[in-house]
Amino acid sequence: MRASFVSSEVVNGLRRNVSMTIAMILTTAVSLTLLGGGLIVVRKVDQAQESLRNAADVVVYMNENVSANDPECANDPCAGLRSELEQASGVQSVQYLNRQAIFDRATEEFSNQPQLQELVRPKALPAALWVELGDNVTPQAVKKQFEGRAGIGSINDQSQFVRNMVNKLNDVRDGTFLIAALQAFAALLLISNTIQLSAFNRRTETGIMRLVGASRWYTQLPFLLEAMVSGIIGSVAATGLLMVLKEAFLDGLMKPLTNANLLTAVSYADVAFVAPILVLVASAISGLTGYLTLRLYVRI
Amino acid sequence: MIRLEHVSKTYKTLARPALDDVSVSVDKGEFVFLIGPSGSGKSTFLQLLLREEVPTRGRVIVADWNVAKLPRRRVPKLRQRVGCVFQDFRLLNNKTVFGNVAFALEVIGKPRHTIRKVVPEVLQLVGLDGKADRMPVELSGGEQQRVAIARAFVNRPLVLMCDEPTGNLDPDTSQDIMLLLERINRTGTTLVMATHDHSIVDSMRRRVVELSHGQVIRDDARGVYGVGR
Ligand SMILES: Nc1ncnc2c1ncn2[C@@H]1O[C@H](COP(=O)(O)OP(=O)(O)O)[C@@H](O)[C@H]1O
Ligand SMILES: [Mg+2]
Repeated sequence: MRASFVSSEVVNGLRRNVSMTIAMILTTAVSLTLLGGGLIVVRKVDQAQESLRNAADVVVYMNENVSANDPECANDPCAGLRSELEQASGVQSVQYLNRQAIFDRATEEFSNQPQLQELVRPKALPAALWVELGDNVTPQAVKKQFEGRAGIGSINDQSQFVRNMVNKLNDVRDGTFLIAALQAFAALLLISNTIQLSAFNRRTETGIMRLVGASRWYTQLPFLLEAMVSGIIGSVAATGLLMVLKEAFLDGLMKPLTNANLLTAVSYADVAFVAPILVLVASAISGLTGYLTLRLYVRI
Repeated sequence: MIRLEHVSKTYKTLARPALDDVSVSVDKGEFVFLIGPSGSGKSTFLQLLLREEVPTRGRVIVADWNVAKLPRRRVPKLRQRVGCVFQDFRLLNNKTVFGNVAFALEVIGKPRHTIRKVVPEVLQLVGLDGKADRMPVELSGGEQQRVAIARAFVNRPLVLMCDEPTGNLDPDTSQDIMLLLERINRTGTTLVMATHDHSIVDSMRRRVVELSHGQVIRDDARGVYGVGR
């Protein structure tokens, strides 16, 4: 097969219907950007679940009585609960944070959000026993064991919050995948259309090729490559778009979550991770669409 | 070289068959005219040989190929050995004379050095030496048809089939084209030519197969166009 022949045919084909080619590339790019976004969410959720497993803390908040009157956790029920927690299986450490310590922690956490900081008053906050768990016990087990005991206000299982967030992120992922699929369908139709148009424009050449005995493969390859090249250009554009989106929106949007150490920020490593997937998906889908179109609609 | 055995071809859109129980056999090196009025089935006959169409009934044999039964991926091999020329030349207007002929070899993967050697040879054979760099629009109709013949012949086919090759040409030019086709036939290439040009058929005195409504009504070894005309 002569590479120069094939490549010049591909370039000519793409140039001949510029507007269709652009539409095809843009639609493919948008679809792939959404797919890439969804894939990044999947990756982030995986990482969040990982960090959840690593740092599975349970916070046992004291009731108002203990919070107000026992800043050192020197008396029962606080002291009793502490020693009981310390001896519970799977517990690695228990730390008592009194009202002031909780306040300091909250102020630090909201340091970049002055409005929230205003809302936090030491008087409103309960003291807490901060329980760090090992690998062989779940936060839910601890919660179950101690829930309703005297002196305890509420038990905050950190994992609950993360789980809610993961659920939200999964909804976002499903949404992006759905729109990506719709866009991909539009891209398929455009690719199919462009190839039919391209084959129609080149019917004299392909007619001659058929008559002089060029193989089907040789005749079709320029069209297939034409589809695949625009697919790949689309995937490169999608990667660029993802980077722009990361800089322009995502980083700001995710700041609260990343500051709270619940999620790691979307990094260029994440984009780099999905980019080759996008290229592969784009070439596979455009190649397959091209192949089927030629088989079904175009006599070559 | 070519054998049609009880071949019928009915197009879906047509009630009566385009070819109706046709049996014809052509030996290697023969020159055969396929004549008959428009719509009598001449083009259909040729398209069956090329596997552009498949017969509804009967067998078509070209060289050693059972054409209708040929698997799809082997069809290109058949077409590489069966050249064809049409009334409308079918040249690529964006390629030179050389480029048009070379195209037929490029797309079947022939190496560049072979192309550089055989294309000038065949251009000389068809009488176009010195015009290799012309564009098709700069040529007369007769010259364009010579390019088409060169392209069909450059890969040395076993059979050359021509569908009304002189249909767009004036009588003098037609005679020149016929001389060229005779020359190609003398190299041992089997030649089948569909035409309804009386004077050409009458002057050549070759085998004539006449079709009418898809049936063979005459097969003369040294015929003229119309008996009693
Ligand atoms: N592709 C086709 N589809 C339907 N009918 C066709 C097709 N090709 C030819 N025919 C019909 O078959 C008959 C024979 O046509 P053709 O072989 O072209 O005759 P000729 O070449 O002698 O003029 C005509 O009636 C024509 O209309
Ligand atoms: Mg005809």
